Amino acid sequence: MVGFDSNLLSLMVFFPLLWATLGLLIPSQQKAGQSVLKVWALVGSLITFGVSLIVYSSFAPQGMDFQLLESYEWVPSIGIYYSLGIDGISLWLILLTTFLMPIVILSSFQSVETRYRGFYFFLLSLETAILGAFTSLDIFLFYVFWEAMLIPMYFLIGIWGGKDRVYAATKFFLYTLVGSLLMLVAIFYLSYQHQIQFGSYSTLITELYKVQLATGGFTNPQNILFLAFALAFAIKVPLFPLHTWLPDAHVQAPTAGSVILAAVLLKMGGYGFIRFAFPLFPQSVAYFQHIFMILGAIAIVYGACIAIVQPDIKKLVAYSSVSHMGYVVLGLFSLNDIAITGSFYQMLSHGISTGALFLLVGMIYERRHTREISAFGGLTRVMPLFAIAFMIVTFSSIALPGTNGFIGEFLILLGAWKVSPVLTAVSTLGVIFGAVYMLWMFQRVMFGPMKHKENEELKDLTFREFAVLTPLIIAIFVMGICPNFFLEKMEPSIQRFIAKSTAGLVIQKNSVTSYAASTRSE
Amino acid sequence: MGDLKTIRPELLTFSQEQIQVLLPYFYVFAGTVVAVLASVVKSINPKWLVFLISILTCIAGICSAWNFLDQPSVLLFNGMMVVDSYSNFFNIVFLGSALITLLASFRYLDKEKLQYPEYYVLILFSALGMMLMASSLDLIVIFIALELMSLAVYVLVGFRRADRRSNEAAMKYFILGSVASAVFLYGTALLYGSTGHIGMREIGSFAHAHPASVTPIFILGAGFVLFGFLFKVASVPFHMWMPDVYEGAPVPVTGFMTTGLKAAAFATFIRVFISLYGSPISLFLEGHIHNILWVSAVLTMVVGNFVALTQTNLKRMLAYSSIAHSGYLLIGVLSGSRSDLGFTPGVFYIVAYAAMNLGAFVILTLLSGREDSGLNLHDLSGISRRQPWLAFSMSVFLFSMAGIPPTAGFVAKYMLFYSAIQANELVLVLIAVLCSAVSVYYYLRVLVYMYMRDPVGSPPASRVSMWSGLAVAAMVAITLEMGILPAQMLSLAKKVLTQL
Repeated sequence: MVGFDSNLLSLMVFFPLLWATLGLLIPSQQKAGQSVLKVWALVGSLITFGVSLIVYSSFAPQGMDFQLLESYEWVPSIGIYYSLGIDGISLWLILLTTFLMPIVILSSFQSVETRYRGFYFFLLSLETAILGAFTSLDIFLFYVFWEAMLIPMYFLIGIWGGKDRVYAATKFFLYTLVGSLLMLVAIFYLSYQHQIQFGSYSTLITELYKVQLATGGFTNPQNILFLAFALAFAIKVPLFPLHTWLPDAHVQAPTAGSVILAAVLLKMGGYGFIRFAFPLFPQSVAYFQHIFMILGAIAIVYGACIAIVQPDIKKLVAYSSVSHMGYVVLGLFSLNDIAITGSFYQMLSHGISTGALFLLVGMIYERRHTREISAFGGLTRVMPLFAIAFMIVTFSSIALPGTNGFIGEFLILLGAWKVSPVLTAVSTLGVIFGAVYMLWMFQRVMFGPMKHKENEELKDLTFREFAVLTPLIIAIFVMGICPNFFLEKMEPSIQRFIAKSTAGLVIQKNSVTSYAASTRSE
Repeated sequence: MGDLKTIRPELLTFSQEQIQVLLPYFYVFAGTVVAVLASVVKSINPKWLVFLISILTCIAGICSAWNFLDQPSVLLFNGMMVVDSYSNFFNIVFLGSALITLLASFRYLDKEKLQYPEYYVLILFSALGMMLMASSLDLIVIFIALELMSLAVYVLVGFRRADRRSNEAAMKYFILGSVASAVFLYGTALLYGSTGHIGMREIGSFAHAHPASVTPIFILGAGFVLFGFLFKVASVPFHMWMPDVYEGAPVPVTGFMTTGLKAAAFATFIRVFISLYGSPISLFLEGHIHNILWVSAVLTMVVGNFVALTQTNLKRMLAYSSIAHSGYLLIGVLSGSRSDLGFTPGVFYIVAYAAMNLGAFVILTLLSGREDSGLNLHDLSGISRRQPWLAFSMSVFLFSMAGIPPTAGFVAKYMLFYSAIQANELVLVLIAVLCSAVSVYYYLRVLVYMYMRDPVGSPPASRVSMWSGLAVAAMVAITLEMGILPAQMLSLAKKVLTQL
């Protein structure tokens, strides 16, 4: 099993694509074929989850920087390697992806009514692209997966989406692409600098970390490159004011698409900051620290405010994502270990809770074919199980202690307080607004009198839906009650990341230097 | 210049080696002649016969050119022509695009009731012209080869004799093409006048040795030669002829023109560029050539992409997109001499572009109705339901043209822009990148129609013929292969360029 062991990551990354391609051979004209196809996709995603568990068990947190390394020459003439590896940060994002994928597939058994083959093909190939991006250690390879991700998502939104699906899909594609193209130019420049400084071509990130870039002033290469990278990642996060694609894409996408988009693709932005922008340009990170913290705080409050007034549940959840991802940016740019750990935890827990919210919204949409808050009311009586699940997820989203959301937001605010009490105070408003929009929405949908006759007939959760939600609800509590289980695997990686990224702080200002030292001694 | 007056006997004899390296050309020429003869055989229906002969000719040419890929360069005809791995590499590209065009045309000609054997013969003649053009070292030979190639294509453009648009296109192309040829020839004459040489290597070395010979006349000549090429690759502002010609020509011919002709022009351009402009003759000249190419590249990309945005006819859209691709290729040419990667990205881009564009045009040929109708965007609505594989292939080509991984177009753009960064062309790269973001919009729009609209009208009657299916599958395979495993093609491109 040598070959299997040494290529474990490749196996995990490409298995879904391979499986999906085989699945294209299943004839889907008859009813039987369609069921086979659904089960086929589900089994494929479960196997991938199984493989990712093997990856998890073979990862040793105290070991090397990057583990399960695979490295092959790909395009030797310009130093491109096919290089995969994981650390404690990517490990959890991989698990999040593989964990959600079977759930998503199971959830779309009823909601997707046409063109089954393509749907499951795109979902599984999307999984390949996501896993590939999370495991790449070569910036070229990362970019390939990063852009390849757009293709299946584009089709998922554009074919199976809502009424304005074409507009939303095109906007999503172009928005993301423009950002990434500027990042591509930055990648060229960076690897050219590597070639000048070290005399050889390379796009391995461990090599690129060594590149020294001129600093000082605003328009120095490092700042420009950082901004190019940051633009691509900020669009993906999405950071205010680059978030405008998100409500369209989320609302128009089919449930499965929204879940993956919110739970995983947004994390890609945060992951990009962590893996590339921060370690590559530490001085610029310190330089722009406050600007990005301010943007993060604005995103938190702005997203929450907009969410309050949304008449559509799905749009509300979409704007809540803007708000929640604002915390991630705020935490990351606080540049201390508490806030960064919190950011990281927030990414995972947002993946779970927002994923669950979108699934729940999808479930009532399947029943009523509307998502208007005003079309509901008093659902608790007819759908008690649904109400319980919805309530748990709502609490998780408003970060009630004991649920996953609390840990992340608490750590972020705690860490950010040390850098900027004012911004933290402003951001805390987001927590309050979060409670407002979620609870108010919950109250209008679930409680009160039953205003619409159609709602009397609504059925409670089916067994399948129960199976979809249970793992997520378990995850909410596990993440909320024993965070250490997750944190201990990522701790060493986060420490290394902080050491690399705060180098800029030390150089920039003396006052900041003493501060950073005191942070680290804690 | 005494040697021009008498014909020396050694010029008329060939060594064994020289005859051998001429084999690809012999095969194609012999095949063409046989095809001409076969097409007048009245006793049988010549359609199949000529078609098969042409196919076999292309295959034989490709195989023998493939054989000579590692061949050290051999000078022929008193240094007027050279056969090296560079020319053989491009011979494969030309014959390949001719082959694909032939495969795509067979059914198309039946459908259009144009099944005349001349068509195949003309394609072969044009391919032969391209082969000669890419292997000539002499500006006069380039001119002759250019005319051989162009004359055949002028006829092909007007092949739909009954159609006004086709005739108009042929006329436009003929007149403007002749003007461009004349400008090119005039430039050649000026260069000859100021240096006394007609071979481009000799011109280069003469001007290098005698800086005084770089007079305004020399510069004017160099500029005219450059304009001749810029016309052939349809770069802005020499592009006016192109959309009408591309729209009026029969679809497979358009495909052939956007790939074969463009590849030939660029292959020759790179060769001329290296031997004529590449050596530092004078800073003045170099600076000017650079500026001309720079401005032309920017204009080409901007105009090509932005005008393509507004097109609703697929053929016209691809015509403008092919202008845009000329712009990217010009970046490769102008940064080639100053970057580490040299012209490798440019050559890679030509091959990638040829594969994806040919594929796209084969599909257009399949989709087109009588008189090339049915190529508006809304005619593609819902194609993915009726012909899923066709739609899949088309999306591969479109993603590749848009430069989205994992396709050949992405790697090609990556290499090209990277080499431009090495040549300190940051602004140019930024413009190019933004233009390619614009281009994504109109490529995506085709996908929107294919995948996200409901089918309209009655399902198409025609099935995909075996020949076209083969051609599309081959192009999809090449496009994906070059995108996923580009190393092999890159090292091949690098190898063939070392011989220049």
